[in-house]
Amino acid sequence: MSFDQLTNNENAESNQHPVAPGSASGIASDALDLEVLNAFEELQLDDGSDLIVELIDLYLHDAAQRVSQIREASLATEWVLLKRAAHNLKGSSGNLGVRKVAEICQKLEWMDRQDSPEKIADLVQLLEYESAGANALLAAVRQRRLG
Amino acid sequence: MESFRITLKQATLKRVLVADDDPVMRHLVTTIIKQQECEAVLANDGREAYRILKGDSQFRAAIFDMTMPYLEGLDLIRYMRSERRLMRIPIMMISAEQDLELMVSSFSAGATAFLPKPFTPEQLQSAMRMLLGSGSSSLKAA
Repeated sequence: MSFDQLTNNENAESNQHPVAPGSASGIASDALDLEVLNAFEELQLDDGSDLIVELIDLYLHDAAQRVSQIREASLATEWVLLKRAAHNLKGSSGNLGVRKVAEICQKLEWMDRQDSPEKIADLVQLLEYESAGANALLAAVRQRRLG
Repeated sequence: MESFRITLKQATLKRVLVADDDPVMRHLVTTIIKQQECEAVLANDGREAYRILKGDSQFRAAIFDMTMPYLEGLDLIRYMRSERRLMRIPIMMISAEQDLELMVSSFSAGATAFLPKPFTPEQLQSAMRMLLGSGSSSLKAA
């Protein structure tokens, strides 16, 4: 099932910003902890830049690559590569408050040879879904900050 | 000549080596380093950091991610602690692992500080202040 199908009719804004599961309206969601993200305000430098927007941009680019690496590693049953990519994505996701993605990455990291390929494939699919939702929320935060 | 020495020493005191393959983390750490009026020298992985350290020891501190391609943070710490010209530089390890053993291994290898992810901005700031503070005191002692 595609992300679009899963989020179909989620809310009226979904055409502009697909919303992650569990969100009611706006940017509130259990996929993204805005308090964690907003805490970075205090690190803002007085140089006219917006640290949170910069972090979101870097995260969106990096997360897309990591999720793609995880998907490819899963298909190729390259577990070491999969765990490494999951580890990296867990770190940056946790620090920006992208909770669900961090949790799924943690589960992928803890997978071992006894886990079935189907179980891993299901987790990877869930990761893709949650990551797409979180990325849409981050894009919405970014858009709001840029006014 | 004397003023050149002072300028060189001041510049040395401001450089911090950062090695992390995560661009979000590199940017965060760099921001804090700038707040402390220091300059970040960036490496995208452990091998790049190793190459920098082979030819440059003028750092006030070093900050390494534990898990990086080619060379891990722990390998870099061991290398730095085995080199006379690098052994006094304080090192902070950042890790997405909450494993106590990894923390113990880091300190055993010679890390000055250990920061587990996820961390809050305050935790990162205070860890950085501690690291840079320990750097200046060790340089004073030298």
